[in-house]
Amino acid sequence: MRDRPPQIVAFGGGGFSMEWGNRLLDDHLLALTGRARPRVCFLPTASGDADHYVVRFYRAFDAGRCEPSHISLFRRETGVGDPRAHLLAQDLVYVGGGSLVSLLGTWRAHGIDLVLREAWHAGVILCGGSAGSLCWFQEAISSFHEGPPRRIECLGLLPWSNAVHYCDEPGRREAFRDAVTAGMPSGYGAGDGAALHFVGTELAEVIGSRPDARAVHVSADADGAAVERDLPVRRLAGAPAVIAA
Amino acid sequence: MGERSPALDRFVLTLTGRPSPRVCFLPTASGDPREQVMRFYERFEAWPCEPTVLSLFRLGRRTDPAEHLLCQDAIYVGGGSMRNMLAIWREHGIDETMRAAWEIGIVLAGLSAGAMCWFEGGVSRSGGAPEPVAGLGLLPGSLSVHLDGESERLPVYRAAVADGRLPAGCAADDGAALVFAGTHLAECVASTPDARVVRISADGSGGIHERQLPIRLLPDNRRFSRGRAELSYGVAELRALRVGRRRWD
Repeated sequence: MRDRPPQIVAFGGGGFSMEWGNRLLDDHLLALTGRARPRVCFLPTASGDADHYVVRFYRAFDAGRCEPSHISLFRRETGVGDPRAHLLAQDLVYVGGGSLVSLLGTWRAHGIDLVLREAWHAGVILCGGSAGSLCWFQEAISSFHEGPPRRIECLGLLPWSNAVHYCDEPGRREAFRDAVTAGMPSGYGAGDGAALHFVGTELAEVIGSRPDARAVHVSADADGAAVERDLPVRRLAGAPAVIAA
Repeated sequence: MGERSPALDRFVLTLTGRPSPRVCFLPTASGDPREQVMRFYERFEAWPCEPTVLSLFRLGRRTDPAEHLLCQDAIYVGGGSMRNMLAIWREHGIDETMRAAWEIGIVLAGLSAGAMCWFEGGVSRSGGAPEPVAGLGLLPGSLSVHLDGESERLPVYRAAVADGRLPAGCAADDGAALVFAGTHLAECVASTPDARVVRISADGSGGIHERQLPIRLLPDNRRFSRGRAELSYGVAELRALRVGRRRWD
């Protein structure tokens, strides 16, 4: 048994796929595992298992500092034979971005939704950005490129709602606040460079890989109006203090 | 589209009866890879038609998939993981759209997963080893593909039909196609001389009957090409980019 509690790190936008050259967040994730050479498995499902995304993962998580692997659910005839056993043996499962709706459909078709819940309870750290962040929550506001923003029921490991690229793409903040006002569970909006670290189902801290990283908590007050509260962000050591020109 | 001869692809266009049909390609089963999208455009842009691609992984904010599909003359579904494709279609409501499209006379076509999906079931390698997988059930019976190309599929298909896990149906070679009008098998056509379609049914005592169906060889339509099939990689990729954002996040 691992000695880790259930943990999820949900990025508002960041990591190797969005912040090439800025390894702070990815380094932080590896350190969280507490292992010298952690096992890290990439799930690129939301991108349709795009080859270039898989290649970028292996470049970012090179074998010198971890044991990287990936699972393709579009090419099951090649690669990992037993996804459940493989995922349960990981220290970190890293979920890539893309289409949240397609991700959830594909996972459910292969039972990966249940395996990830099991892995989470067993102490495998779950993380990801964009669709790879939204998926862990009860509900989410869908990504930019899936038609107009709408509420989507996700895996529900965390009983909150989530929105990503919160401060960075027009319309996201409004759509999220409107949905919470309309009865979606209260939750977290995270901007690019901000990552929400949950231990169990509670937010432990927000970490930032950029100086302008921002995250908020959004709930509805007694009158049903949206209340937005800025969350303190701990800047990761090495993060620049000012935005480079 | 995976094969060299374009006769089957061309045949899909002629089935629409339109001089310049709208044809939409869905590469869902392979996760909408850029190479498939490029190959589709390279082939279909050489012909008088209006080709588009619908990516469910990179939907534009203003794209309503159902609306786009229902204004086509033909819908062409690519190969890959049948299980993933159907799961993703269900999440996006595309399964119902396909039934509606079929009912209003849009030609539905496809290869591999894109061929088997229309039936009650097929034999898919979505889970690794070949196994029976349920389809949309627009067409009665079952279909197994790559009869000549993947030898491990046929035994699984025979066994599934014999013990009733799959209804009777056909196994088809690469280059062979079944043409249904409504739910009636109108004919089998082929783009290569040796392509076969074999009817496989349970014999009622745990075994199967097999019978090869007559097949019509399609003319080689390469002469219809307007000579744009040799598009350079760069141009084709540029065109493919039109279909969606490149960003994955």
